[in-house]
Amino acid sequence: MGRQATGFGRRAALGGAASLPLLRPTWASAAETVHFVVAEYSNATGPYFQQMADEFHKANPDIEVNIDVVNWNSLLQTLQTDISGGTTPDLSIIGTRWLLDFVKDGVAEPLDSFMTPQFRNRFVPIFLQPGSIGGKVYGLPIAASARAMFYNKEMLTKAGFPNGPATWNDVVAAAKKVKAAGAYGFGLQGKEIETDVYWYYALWSYGGELVNKQGKAVAFDSPAGVKALTLYKMMIDQGLTETAVTSYNREDLQNLFKQGRLSMVITAPFLIGQIAKESPNLQYGIVPVPKGTTESTYAVTDSIVMFKNSKVKKSAFKFLDFIFTKEPRVLFNKNEGFLPTTKAVAEDPYFANDPRLKVFVDLMPRAHFAPVIVGWEDVAKDVIDALQSVYLGHAQPAAALKRASQQADQVL
Amino acid sequence: MKRKLLRSLLSWAVLSPLIVLVLFPFAVMISTALKPETEVMSYPPRWLPRHWSFASFPAMWEQAHFSTAIPSSLIICFGSVLLTLCVAIPAAYALARLQFRLKPFYRLFLLVTQMLAPVLLILGLFRMAAAVPFGDGSLVNTRLGVILIYGAFQIAFSVWMLSAYFAAIPRDIEEAAWIDGCGRIRAIWHMFLPLAVPAIAVCASVAFVYGWNEYVVALTMLRSQDKQTVTLQAVNLVAGRYSVEWNQVMAATLVATLPVAVVFAALQRFMVRGLTLGAVK
Amino acid sequence: MVSAGRASEQVRPPALLDAWPSFRLLARQNLALLLILPSLLLAVAIILYPFFVIVRLSLSNVSPFGQLRGFVGWANYAGVLADPVFYGSLVRTLIWTATVVGGTVLISVPVALVLQQDFYGRGIARTIVMLPWALSLAMAAILWEWSFNADYGMINGILQGLRLISGPIHWMARADTAFPVEIGVGILVSIPFTATIFQGGLSSMPTDIYEAARIDGASAWQQFRYLTLPLLKPFIEIAMVLNVIYVFNSFPIIWVMTQGGPDNATHILVTYAYQLAFSLGRPGPAAAVSVLMLAIVLTFTVVYMRLQREEA
Repeated sequence: MGRQATGFGRRAALGGAASLPLLRPTWASAAETVHFVVAEYSNATGPYFQQMADEFHKANPDIEVNIDVVNWNSLLQTLQTDISGGTTPDLSIIGTRWLLDFVKDGVAEPLDSFMTPQFRNRFVPIFLQPGSIGGKVYGLPIAASARAMFYNKEMLTKAGFPNGPATWNDVVAAAKKVKAAGAYGFGLQGKEIETDVYWYYALWSYGGELVNKQGKAVAFDSPAGVKALTLYKMMIDQGLTETAVTSYNREDLQNLFKQGRLSMVITAPFLIGQIAKESPNLQYGIVPVPKGTTESTYAVTDSIVMFKNSKVKKSAFKFLDFIFTKEPRVLFNKNEGFLPTTKAVAEDPYFANDPRLKVFVDLMPRAHFAPVIVGWEDVAKDVIDALQSVYLGHAQPAAALKRASQQADQVL
Repeated sequence: MKRKLLRSLLSWAVLSPLIVLVLFPFAVMISTALKPETEVMSYPPRWLPRHWSFASFPAMWEQAHFSTAIPSSLIICFGSVLLTLCVAIPAAYALARLQFRLKPFYRLFLLVTQMLAPVLLILGLFRMAAAVPFGDGSLVNTRLGVILIYGAFQIAFSVWMLSAYFAAIPRDIEEAAWIDGCGRIRAIWHMFLPLAVPAIAVCASVAFVYGWNEYVVALTMLRSQDKQTVTLQAVNLVAGRYSVEWNQVMAATLVATLPVAVVFAALQRFMVRGLTLGAVK
Repeated sequence: MVSAGRASEQVRPPALLDAWPSFRLLARQNLALLLILPSLLLAVAIILYPFFVIVRLSLSNVSPFGQLRGFVGWANYAGVLADPVFYGSLVRTLIWTATVVGGTVLISVPVALVLQQDFYGRGIARTIVMLPWALSLAMAAILWEWSFNADYGMINGILQGLRLISGPIHWMARADTAFPVEIGVGILVSIPFTATIFQGGLSSMPTDIYEAARIDGASAWQQFRYLTLPLLKPFIEIAMVLNVIYVFNSFPIIWVMTQGGPDNATHILVTYAYQLAFSLGRPGPAAAVSVLMLAIVLTFTVVYMRLQREEA
């Protein structure tokens, strides 16, 4: 039964458009509904998954996929109420950073029993890692991205760095010249989600770590951490960043960059698509995250998980099988600007030959993923509080980091 | 006439700061909604767009699925208004006209229900809804569930408001009918309720607006796209997006606010009349 | 509102069940209970039951996804009461409630007074003043946040256009500018409701006493101070109690504009509880905060009402 099923699925997917199976299934199956919660990345996300659901249904008339589109801000709340109320969906997109909490609560279903070796082999191994806990695969990488530095070619050339800054010293020097020319130098995020990550770029570049090897205590209050935070504070004090750092989230920084008012910002590949659409005349380049003592970047995945009390696990996995074939993945990555997580997509000429994406992909060997710890959000919040207090001048770097580490240790 | 003119000028002058602050968000909405995408983030910000564009409206209509959101909101609002009235009118009548031992406890009970904000009860509300069987599942992701919740949270305010009005309606009218041999129920129906209509209209409009504008409960309870309300969809255009299209957001907010503003304007007359009922001596 | 109901004591209404005179009294008592029963049932089912769920959560160890993992007694409360962010939020909630309610009442009284006057375009003015009520709180918060955006918001646009400021002010960057802005928005959205209550009070006032006062030579201010204000007092009290309850629990404004930040400096109890539950995945402590919030508001209301009764 399994082989026949994948046969149908593959043929329908490779065929692309709706194609009826040539053979009717020989086993009797009642109509099943797979309930899938989708987190919204952009306007294209909902329609994309609806299209996938429709195509899948045409190929598998006995399975219907219901899509619920939820925005990221409400996703955790939605899943919490669902789990607490016992009305979990069958599949859901989640931030991989939540995976450990899911598994500990016993709500996630291990997928190994459904995965054939060929299925497993589709994935770029490094992306399968974050979704594996205790040797079992719980989350399949639906979206992956890394971070790099976008710089404004015009401004940086005038500042003496036509190929972009390579180290933090370069960044400071360039920012000084950009500031003198009347624009903002280095974009520093001080608000909302991933404010902590923005500082981790510097932390990791000085060889620091977030947590110790066992994941039981934090390690960001090390000398590397203090050095990184002091660097940022110095940049703020010297006016090398945008003013009032704590009122800028990542989207705000990106807007400044697109308008040519900010010369450097560290962010994810989807900015490429935004620039193409909104500021097509902007001359920009992409280089790795500035080096301190070492090169690094932040890589992040989002995973699809299956819930343990799903009653339609086989059908749900069939759908997963379908969307992780080549065409659906190519379309998804094109729409959203994410990095390829399957080998087939990585080898697709569109992605393999894109010089901009190449920068991100090349960084992967030195990428830090979010550590798999419990209470990631709590730790992130403690760090963000500390960062904001330093950015606002209410605390000194060393003291703030110490306080944050004490609070975070309690969570771990 | 001259006195009235002077009084009008003075009144508008005194009210003007408030009126400016009240109209400011609407001005921002209109100004942003009529801008093309490229002009929304212009620095420094300008009121008038260089190129007027109505494109955000159809775009927003698609994105926010208003074609299903508006009917959904209407169903929920009318449903919760009906429920609120059916529950609150008898209770208000009892408070206004009848004496009973439990009265002070009932009043306190109503007050306490106001003290629990829905946002804090989310997990509990969801559990409760999930535990009630309905249709093929539970009350989760049903409009009925939302209607019941809205009705419950509106009880306190509606009963309070209606009982205050009912108490101000002189009993003489009903008593005259009793004396004439009319049964109690008929007296209520023919003499009391017509006078209560303005108050009931005010109560209905407040409940309608509450249902239309409410966000947190709707977000928790309504999952499928076609059931989500107008407010939910409009806020979703902003929340958690990598890139927000403000002109569409403003267009959505404008369309979402218009019907409610119209209802309010229409019923504003009743509000005044209902309020001055107590002055009838 | 002085009702003319006093006279009705002499006229006994016919019993509902005329055919069964022995049930007359019982029927009247039961009638009242019957009439309030639907409201009781609805409120108990929808409000009290979830509240008991929350109480239970507050006494349990709750996983980030709302699963109960055992009874822990007061541990959640102890944890919350040891958290400095809780105290900061508590103090800020008191400040928030006092300033928003105070500001609203102070502005609504003159607004109601003006709207009671007969002047040209009064209907339009009344409608405009009501408009903030028609706007969803979440959307109003989004609108004002957008307007106060440092780079693209119209507030800075206007200020810079009038040359009142040279560069953009970053309103939301620091709590000492963000919090007052949030208070301002809170006041603005509470005015329609409060002004309506006051208009109701003003319109139920007997006009003859003003005639008498004018004949006696009282000035407008004296009329206000000694006639209007005392008669308005019960309405001011009602407005204050209801506003305190609503404002204390008011979530969207602060959550949308600053999410309680930066560095927890704009958190009030309700946003703090929400963040605990849904951002940090700690529903147990969040439930504890909710219960404590109810205790605070309940205490305030009971104390306030008792004070009123003593005065009266």
